[in-house]
Order: sequence, then structure tokens, then C-alpha cells
Amino acid sequence: MPGEGHNVTGVGLGLRWEFLEEVLDGPPLDLAFWEVCPENSMHRGGYYPHALARIAERYPVFTHGLTLSIGASDPAPLDYLTELRDETRRLKTPWHSDHLCFGNAGPRMLHELLPLKQSTANARRAAERVRRAQDVLGLPMLVENITWYAHPGRREIPEAEFIAEVVERADAGLLLDVNNVWVNAQNHGFDPQAFILELPLERVRQIHVAGHTRTASGLILDTHGAAVVDPVIDLLEWTLERTGPMPVLLERDHDVPELAELLAEVHRLRAAYDRALTRREAPLARSA
Amino acid sequence: MPEALEIAFAELALGPELSPDDPVAVRAWLDQSGVDREDAQAIVDAGVDRLFVYRTLVRTTLREAVECSIPRTARRLGAVFDEYFARYLREVGPRSRFLRDVTTELLDFCAPLWAADRRVPPWAMDLARHEAVQVVVASELAGPGNAKRQPLELELPVRFVEAVRLMRYDHAVHRLSDALEDRTPPVTEPTRLLVYRSPEHDVRYLELTPLAAAILERLLAGAPLGAAVVEACQAAGTPLGESVRSGTATLLADLAERGALLGPKLQEG
Repeated sequence: MPGEGHNVTGVGLGLRWEFLEEVLDGPPLDLAFWEVCPENSMHRGGYYPHALARIAERYPVFTHGLTLSIGASDPAPLDYLTELRDETRRLKTPWHSDHLCFGNAGPRMLHELLPLKQSTANARRAAERVRRAQDVLGLPMLVENITWYAHPGRREIPEAEFIAEVVERADAGLLLDVNNVWVNAQNHGFDPQAFILELPLERVRQIHVAGHTRTASGLILDTHGAAVVDPVIDLLEWTLERTGPMPVLLERDHDVPELAELLAEVHRLRAAYDRALTRREAPLARSA
Repeated sequence: MPEALEIAFAELALGPELSPDDPVAVRAWLDQSGVDREDAQAIVDAGVDRLFVYRTLVRTTLREAVECSIPRTARRLGAVFDEYFARYLREVGPRSRFLRDVTTELLDFCAPLWAADRRVPPWAMDLARHEAVQVVVASELAGPGNAKRQPLELELPVRFVEAVRLMRYDHAVHRLSDALEDRTPPVTEPTRLLVYRSPEHDVRYLELTPLAAAILERLLAGAPLGAAVVEACQAAGTPLGESVRSGTATLLADLAERGALLGPKLQEG
């Protein structure tokens, strides 16, 4: 199974510029790992890659990309993939993750996670792209479910089946973003737990949680610009009870607060994490 | 080749503004993108309002990246900047997978257009390039520097750090205040700056005389040290006397001390 070789479990945090120096200069933090966006450090010199190398000496680091554009009709250029490979090697990540979406239309880069038409043909093409990326990177890939606000055209297969088809065909891991599931469930009106149960949970290698923003129209946007809400923490706990221990990431990309505030949120997530695993082990303990 | 739905999303995000309340325009957008009729109908039937969220998301991300890089230029130009930003998205759009490259792409697009537009002050491109070069030099990919310092030789080219740019402006934009609300126009004055990244990863700026800039320009292009000095003096009509020799030696020693100049570029092999 992809990504089984590592032993990192627990709650980690997305590394942000706003508190990078505090992390570098401060004492070791009680965090399971850091997650970084390699597009910010690859094909680049200067302070940032230098700082990341220092972080990678002290903590486990996972890379989580934004521009692989897994589902686009044009494959990612080989030079991009080889530079990404070099960066993942520098940071010693056990896997690389990116989103099940497209982010470009030919040469035009949109720098956003755009929804794929949920069809078998698109799932097969995305799976082929994931396999190619895994071959070039020499690493397992994790594919993340995205938040989507409108479906582009006819939906040919349900979303959970679409995601499952991609990861099964590519023999990839699943990065399950429970906030994305919850936001989609709110925006499109479905049961998030039922949705999660339709996914191949045995392939989940990492979980993401984040905050979101509700617009005046009622639509919820996955902004990563607020604290994680209680219903999402509950869904995380419920999910962990079914998946077992694994790395859980708190994402915060906008309105980034002080590091201390984020660490307090990590602590809150860790409590949910511990509760889930305690409940998961309880039946075993009773039967022993 | 991008598929029709990809083209449709790119046009929706980067192209002319559409109103979700204008069914004729929405249908034309889908048809022009070549979207399959059944998919187009499904999109219309589902209601297009939520699709327009993607226009806001894409443009906000790109605009924030640009404003982060050239905030004073964007503020000073105001609505005119907005107009060119929209035009860049519509006519070219971002090409790089790295968000930090968007500003350079935008400025390359705007350079000939701003020069011909009377609404754009003549110093605007100087200020924009000056703001943007900070990110360019800060993030320039670079190999390891020379481990040991060696004396320069007249017959050999000179090796600089890779993160270095020689900037030429017609206005002293480097003397403007960093304040976003400042609207003081820069003085019209030919300006030459060597912008380089120090060993501590800081971006530093060194103002140059015309002759120093002419010499460094040739050195950065790969000319041997002796030839660079001779040609720069000839071009400037400056006699190659002792003051030029000692001034050049002082400049190069200073650059070496700053970590911008690494030593002679030795023959490979």
C-alpha cells in the first residue's frame, strides 16, 4: 500500500511564512510533522529553501502541492516533475500529495483548484497522471478530494466513486480532507458520514482539516482562513475512529494568527484524535 | 490540447466579465468554448451562479500575488492598473506554475503598452520593475558559491553570484518612500542599481556611476575583466587612467566583500 513505510502519526501544521522564523529560532515544538507547499521552494534559491532544509533536519516534512493539475487534459511537463522530484528528495517526504482537480487550460495556469467532471474517463486519465507522477517522483502519491462549488457538466458517476476509481487505478493513497467533505455536504446537501463510508478508507494515508467562510449567499468557501469549526472536528473524530492513527494536518493559509494560537488549535485537534483512537481501541480491549 | 470544459473555465476566470443573469451571454461563453451541448445544458440547468465563484477565486489569488510584489505601483496607478491587470488576464494569462512569476509576466506584457499610454506616468514601469526585482533576486535559483577566494585576472571573466541584476531606470524610483499612500513622483534621473542577494539571503542595492555600470554590465555578460574595462571606457569616452583602474579595483573588492562577486570565472575541465 502506498506510503505505508513511514511511522508519523498525530497532528501536524502547515508551515507558513508568517511564523517561519519563530519555528527556526524557537525550541522544538510538540508537532507530529510540518506540511509544506513545494511550489514555494522548488526552482528557487535564497532564504526560503535554506530555511526549509533546516526545518527538515528537525521535523518530519510532508509535501503538498498545488499545481500538478492531476486531472487536466495536458500532462504536467516533465521538467516540472523532475524539479518536484528533486524538492521532495531534499525534504525527505515519505510521499507527495496534490488535489484531484485541474488548474490549467493548456498553457494558461489558473492557480486554483478547479473541479473535474465526475466521469469514468476523467477518473482513468487522472489515475494515469498520478501513476506517471509516482514513476517520476519515485514516491507514493496521495490524492486529495477537493471542495467544489459547481459541477462542470453532466455528472456521470458519484463523487465518492470518482475518487475511489482514481486512487484504486493509480494504486495511490487518499488524502482525505474532512473539511472539504463537510463543506461539500453543506453546499450540495448530502450526508458527510455516508459519503466518507463510500470512500476506500483503507487507502487513506493522511487527513486534512481547515476552517472555512460562509458567504452572504449561504455558500461556504474553503478559505483556510478561520479556525476549524466543531462539526468538522466531530467529523474528523468520527473518521479517525474508522481509519485508525495517521497524520492529521491543520491547514491555515489566510488570516494566519500567531503561532501560539495555531498550536492551541492543534492541541484541540489532538484531543479529538486521542478520543477517536481510545474509542477505536475500546472494543478490542473489551474482547481481550 | 485543453478540453472544452477547461477552456470554458479559463475563459470564465480570465476572460471578459459575464453576468450569470444574462442567459444569452452564458450560453455564448459555453458555445465559444466548445462545450458539449449536453454538458452546457447541465451547467445552465444547475444554475450558473456558483460557477462564477471560480472567477473570483482565480482573480483574487492572482491579484494578491501581484499586489504583494508591486504594491506601490498598483496603488499609484489605481484604476489604470486594474485595467491592465484585467487585460493581461484576458489576452495572455499566467503561464508559469509558480505564482511568484506572475508579476514578471504581467510587467513583460504591460511594458510596451504602458510606454504608449499617456495615462501611465513615465516612471511607472521603473517603479514596477524596481519593486518586482526584490522578489526575483530573493528567489533566484543559485548554485553554491566559491569556497575559496582567488584573485581576479584581467584575461578572465568574473563570476558573480547568480542572484544578481543590473537595473537601469530613467527615474530615481529607489529613493521613493515605501509608504503605500505616498504619491510623490520620482525625480527624473538616470539610475543604475546593482541588485544582488547577499550570503545572508538579503536583497541589497548598490547605486552605480555610469562607468561602473558599463563595466559591470560587460562583466555580467561574460566579458574578460580587462576587455570589459577597456570597452566601457571607450563607450563612455573616458580615458583609461589610473583613477579608472583604482576605482574599478575598489568597486570589485567592495563587491567581493559584500559577497556579490565570487572570483574569476575559471575555464571548465
